Amino acid sequence: MTFLRVIQWVVWKDLISEMRSRETLSSMLFFALIVILVFSFSFAMDQDAAQQLIAGIIWVSFAFTGIIGLGKSFSAELQNDALEYLQMSPTPKGAIYLGKMLGNLLFMLVVEVMLFPLFVLFFNLNIVEEIGLLLLIFLLATLGLSAVGTLFSALTVQIRAREVMLPVLLLPLAIPVMIAAVESTRGALNAQPLTLYFHWIELLTIFDVIFTVVSFWLFELILDS
Amino acid sequence: MMNRIIRRIQRFKGWFGAAAAFCIFYGLYLGLFDSPPDYYQGEVVRIMYVHVPLAHTSLMAYASLFLGSLWYLWKRDPLVDNMCQAAAGLTVIFTALSLITGAIWAKPTWNTWWTWDPKLISFAILLLIASGYLMLRTFVEDPDKEGRYAAVLAIVGGIDLPIIYFSAEWWRSLHQPLSISMRGVSMTGDILLPLSIMSLGLNLLFLYMLMVRTQMLYLTNLLQAKKGRLLSQVHLTQTSS
Repeated sequence: MTFLRVIQWVVWKDLISEMRSRETLSSMLFFALIVILVFSFSFAMDQDAAQQLIAGIIWVSFAFTGIIGLGKSFSAELQNDALEYLQMSPTPKGAIYLGKMLGNLLFMLVVEVMLFPLFVLFFNLNIVEEIGLLLLIFLLATLGLSAVGTLFSALTVQIRAREVMLPVLLLPLAIPVMIAAVESTRGALNAQPLTLYFHWIELLTIFDVIFTVVSFWLFELILDS
Repeated sequence: MMNRIIRRIQRFKGWFGAAAAFCIFYGLYLGLFDSPPDYYQGEVVRIMYVHVPLAHTSLMAYASLFLGSLWYLWKRDPLVDNMCQAAAGLTVIFTALSLITGAIWAKPTWNTWWTWDPKLISFAILLLIASGYLMLRTFVEDPDKEGRYAAVLAIVGGIDLPIIYFSAEWWRSLHQPLSISMRGVSMTGDILLPLSIMSLGLNLLFLYMLMVRTQMLYLTNLLQAKKGRLLSQVHLTQTSS
């Protein structure tokens, strides 16, 4: 199989099994709903305070929800020893990485797009003009989380205490993504001029490129049995 | 058969320890008694003679962990893996100490123990990454996988640290500018001398501790392997007789 076909098959496989079980998406969605509810109870906010805080709240819930999806991405492969077949398959490991990474990106983006209207509703946001830009920020930041997260999901699934170790290893490394995502989302939500937060979008892009390449190369060492 | 490098460490590590002790005591004497108090910071500045060298040494420790991990992935030498494990433990110690001494200095100077400054953020995250590294190692059963996974984490962390630093610097900056920069030194000799001697001393101390710990880890693994071999031999003779 060619490289691109492998990527396509891995994404397709993940999509099919998700369509049949609906495990990952539904658990992510419900978890995120609970996070939103907890946040809206914890802070009694007027609209000014919401404008300041909402970007942080959005990204904390997206990151935690993303970790659930990332963890499931490889722990699902433990059933029927599917992970060993992935390890033994003669296909390039980098292609498996890219397929898994795109699948995770897709799941996380779907959840984010479904959740965002709820934030708008609960926290009374105005987003009329900046919606395209916001989607771009979501895409870039989620790509960054997914690039590092897929690598560490494949790593932690093969060790003890995997549910604890994934966030413990991933979140410190994802700090630049979180800072840049929060700052640019805040800029876009408050309708600031683009030049004020454009450097954060650049940082997200740089992070995405570096860590997709690095994880692509290192993935072979993780999936080697 | 013991490794040649381990034997060499056994022979020479004492010199490093002695040199480190000499530099640290001499540097502390110079810093605490011989140098003048700072014009603005007064006597508080003296903790800098410990804090700055500690911070340098923790970066040096992570740098050796990073380079060692690359080397391990390339050559797969178990001794290098032991060295990485030793370096990670030392990174945790030195980073924690530099954060603590920094907080003690910051309280009288900035009037706060902690602030969200790029250097503080980067060091706190360095501490998290190095502790995560040690945790990861305890959770992997297979020793070959343990070395590989740990090396992957150390490499990703090493690439990430500069990005964390720059993003934190864009986020907010308060730290005083570096006193030793490309444009020349902005301190006088009676401060610079104890500072560099302490820096040298702590780096030597790091090398000494690295050697001792590497040797210890290597010998522990060797002992485990020998024990396993002996036990299996005993088992074989028992079952055959």
